[in-house]
Amino acid sequence: MVQIDYMLMISRQGKVRLMRWFCPYSAKDKNKICRELTTTVLSRKTKMCNILEYQDHKVVYKRYASLYFVCGINSDANNELLTLEIIHRYVEAMDTYFNNVCELDIIFNFSKAYEILNEILICDGAITETSKHSILKTVASMDALETSDNLDQVLS
Amino acid sequence: MTSLYAPSADDVMRRLRPFGLFFEKSLKDLIKAIRSAGENPEELQLVLNKALSESREEVGSPDLNLKANAVVKLTYLEMYGFDMSWANFHVLEVMSSSKLQHKRVGYLAASQSFYKDSDVLMLATNLLKKDLKYDGSNDILKMGVTLSGLSTMVTTPLASDICDDLFSMLGSSKPYIRKKAVAALFKVFLQYPEALRDNFDKFVSKLEDEDLSVVSATVSVICELSKKNPLPFIALSPLLYEMLLTVDNNWIIIRLLKLFTNLSQVEPKLRVKILPKVLELMEVTSATSVIYESINCIVKGQMLEEDDFDTASSCLQELNKFCNSTDPNLRYISVVLFYKIGKINAEFINEFNTLVIRLLKDVDISIRSRALELLEGATNDENITSIVQILIKQFIDKDMVSATNLFRQPGSGGVEIEIPLSYKLKMVSTILKICSMKSYANIPDFDWYIAVLSDLCVLSQDLNSSNLGHELADEIRNIMVKVPSMRPKFISAIITLVVNKDICQQMPMILREGFWCIGEFSALLQDGNHLIKEFVKQKRLPPDVQQVLAQALLKIFSNWCNTSGDIIYAEVKDTLKELVKFYEGFSTSPSFEVQERSVEFLEFCRLCEESLDQQEEEEGLPLLLTEVLPSFFDAYDLNPIVLGTQKKLQSSFTLDLETPFMTEEEIEALLAEAAGKNEENSGLISDIDSRLDSDEDDSLTSYMQPLARELGSEVKMSAEEREYSEAKRKQERMDNPFYLETGEPEIIKNASPLLDFDDDAKLSVVKSFSELHLPYTGPKDSDETKKKRKKKKNSRSKAQVLTEEGLPDLPRDAELTKESHDRIDNAISTENSNAINLRMQSKLENFDFSPPSLTSDGQSENISEHQPELEKLRAKFATNSRMDDPPEEEVVVVSKKKNPSPNPSQSLSRARKKRRATLKLKLMKRAKRVTAFSHKMFFAL
Repeated sequence: MVQIDYMLMISRQGKVRLMRWFCPYSAKDKNKICRELTTTVLSRKTKMCNILEYQDHKVVYKRYASLYFVCGINSDANNELLTLEIIHRYVEAMDTYFNNVCELDIIFNFSKAYEILNEILICDGAITETSKHSILKTVASMDALETSDNLDQVLS
Repeated sequence: MTSLYAPSADDVMRRLRPFGLFFEKSLKDLIKAIRSAGENPEELQLVLNKALSESREEVGSPDLNLKANAVVKLTYLEMYGFDMSWANFHVLEVMSSSKLQHKRVGYLAASQSFYKDSDVLMLATNLLKKDLKYDGSNDILKMGVTLSGLSTMVTTPLASDICDDLFSMLGSSKPYIRKKAVAALFKVFLQYPEALRDNFDKFVSKLEDEDLSVVSATVSVICELSKKNPLPFIALSPLLYEMLLTVDNNWIIIRLLKLFTNLSQVEPKLRVKILPKVLELMEVTSATSVIYESINCIVKGQMLEEDDFDTASSCLQELNKFCNSTDPNLRYISVVLFYKIGKINAEFINEFNTLVIRLLKDVDISIRSRALELLEGATNDENITSIVQILIKQFIDKDMVSATNLFRQPGSGGVEIEIPLSYKLKMVSTILKICSMKSYANIPDFDWYIAVLSDLCVLSQDLNSSNLGHELADEIRNIMVKVPSMRPKFISAIITLVVNKDICQQMPMILREGFWCIGEFSALLQDGNHLIKEFVKQKRLPPDVQQVLAQALLKIFSNWCNTSGDIIYAEVKDTLKELVKFYEGFSTSPSFEVQERSVEFLEFCRLCEESLDQQEEEEGLPLLLTEVLPSFFDAYDLNPIVLGTQKKLQSSFTLDLETPFMTEEEIEALLAEAAGKNEENSGLISDIDSRLDSDEDDSLTSYMQPLARELGSEVKMSAEEREYSEAKRKQERMDNPFYLETGEPEIIKNASPLLDFDDDAKLSVVKSFSELHLPYTGPKDSDETKKKRKKKKNSRSKAQVLTEEGLPDLPRDAELTKESHDRIDNAISTENSNAINLRMQSKLENFDFSPPSLTSDGQSENISEHQPELEKLRAKFATNSRMDDPPEEEVVVVSKKKNPSPNPSQSLSRARKKRRATLKLKLMKRAKRVTAFSHKMFFAL
């Protein structure tokens, strides 16, 4: 299945908007990967394929509007097409959640973006929830619960 | 903020009122501040530092809201590269809040920063246990959050502590909880495999869950687990096969295919059953990722056998379709798969060589680069010229970044493709590789290849890669040595290369081999003196080139003096003067090797000068130049030998450095005779003799000369003496390991070997070069086993390629070649050492899955194998894990930490477990007969 090792969201200006590491990297490695992938991914042309080899693994990326979604996957046991599909599902889920998502939504609600990612890539990126409906339902009910928590507080 | 669920500004205000104003000031403000700092890095740094110190203060506050807020900010700042592990205890506090909002923040922060922080995790264990308790409706979500967070921070002690809770959650009535529990169990199994062993059935039963998402999660987990250790899951294959037939969800199908890929690697029997189904699936489905996965399954699951052309062609047809698609991703992955199929049997991809050629021109460099790897299987002697042409053209394309060029490639959308350096490097070495394949069997015409080689040298000079330079240099030398008929032509090509100033500067690597070739085959040259004058001008060379150049110059000189008939006396003198000047310059070189060689040659040249001065012009050149000098170099032709042969010789023989070449009396007689004839010369000869004697272990051993013979033949020994020395020399040669040729040495013993032209050497000598003398004596026919000649079908333009000679029947042969391979492997691995290692440590790989409990017979049936080999392997694993038993060991250590007195019950239960495990092994053997039967039934189906 898709074992995603890390997922980065990089803006066209090269800023990291979101990063999730499913493997124990050192801070130095993380910085190195971020820096190097930002430059390589941004420099690729639109007609090029979305898979590139980086160090000992593969990187699958996809651009949506001004954001690049970059996933590091283990090179020999993975389906690159599925990884692209997962990225797409993620974007779709966010699109529905934020109602036509834009980069600013993700910047200001980064924790929500993380929550949705958590629902999609359960368990260290090893398993994927594929139903957009159930993802959104869970996130929505969590939000509802949160609101009611706050309401309680207001009332008290 | 147009979102449905995101709070509006008013909402936020309303919610925040009871908290005071700080919340609004915080995350949102932080983001805004960062954004307004914009592009100015100094200002940004200032803002970030300020935010960090603020958060540092806030996080210590007793107010949980404030704390949670600070944690969110820290999580955000972490994306800018600020470590937040120092705040782990605060995160833990936030996690323990009863509010879901805090919990979410806490678990989010924890999943970003907790990794393997054992101190915090120990404290977190109880919290996790509490959060996993199921009591009330809202708790589903709480548990969901907990489970998501949990999976990122499982360690062995934590895993063993919570696995029971997780298993009890598998029975939950909510599919969401079951799904999350299955997912979290995956991480637990990786760290604590005992949990899987003890609850195998319970876990596997989730494959038949009524909720599809739970099934999907279970299949995924099993698939991931089987990557690490497929053995325990083979018994599930009937069930999984059933699922493959019935499930119509593509996600699950892909996972099942992955799973079967892993399983069939250890259980080849599965192939018979699975392969037809996979092929069928490939035809039926319309989803590309399923097709891709099917082919992947066939290739990686070792289901494609070397002679299975039907399966291969149906896979390749699909891939061919992918390659023709407009989606670059499809093209890319199919090229990768192409390569994998080609690796199994290169013949599979033979018919697709037009496709490969087309892929070489793809818009995407990464696809091109993959296609390069395919070339090895797709080239033959017909298309090699066009392929190489395409590749070389790509080199030149880069220089034409102009407006007209935009329309050259219609598919590229008007974008000039920048070809990266790494691709060019790969390209050149691929060209070299495909050309030299099978001992140059693909080369239709060596004239062409020589042109290609010189082009490559010129083109790759600005690539600035020393590796590539060495590769090219090796190739040049190989051609020179292995293809005798091309030597005359090639040597002039090499000369143009080495006098090219740019190449000298950019790629000094090829100079070394170039000079060597010119020197070694300088007999083919006409105007050696001009060449010498040209070469001595080159001063700024690296020492390893200098040392070869020093020797090459003398060789050229020697050949020039002795080949061309009408040598002008003054010119010889002139050239010699140049040489002396050259060697003088090098005789103070800081490089030891250069210095030594130069000093030796310098002395010799001075001697030559002296003897020239003393001799009258009419008498011709002195003997020192006509006889002694050539004898340094021209005794034997160099034949290509197999890698490592020399090493074998050196280790299996001892070199006799003691016995003199001539006995005392012989030298006496020789000197006496020579003194009678020419006092001057004999003195010189003995001088040289002694010097060369000490020169014996020079690195160029192949030039080593039995001096006795040369001297003997020159200074007219008496017949008996000559015979005696001849016999002695023969004997010596037999003993000497450095002579490869066992044939008659007489051939080389010609008085003027350079004029000898061996006609029956079956060489196609180019007539236009007939003014050059070709001293090549063909490989000895007496030694057929060593030199099996390749009969070419179309011998019209193909030159003969010498095969490498080696020593037969040496037991260390394999060892040596292995050694050299190892060296290469090591080199490769060190190259990759700076790569980041993605492998995660897990304890599952070598874990013994024989269940320690006697509770159910069904379980043992499930787990036991139907193959005796596997059984043996298993037993081996069992002993291993019983010997060191790392997972349990760690449990004990941690429990000691928690509790100063060691926990006796734990170690006791461990001992009991071990005893059970051995008992179980015995029992399993008995149960095996039953399982074997049931499996036979399955495969018979």
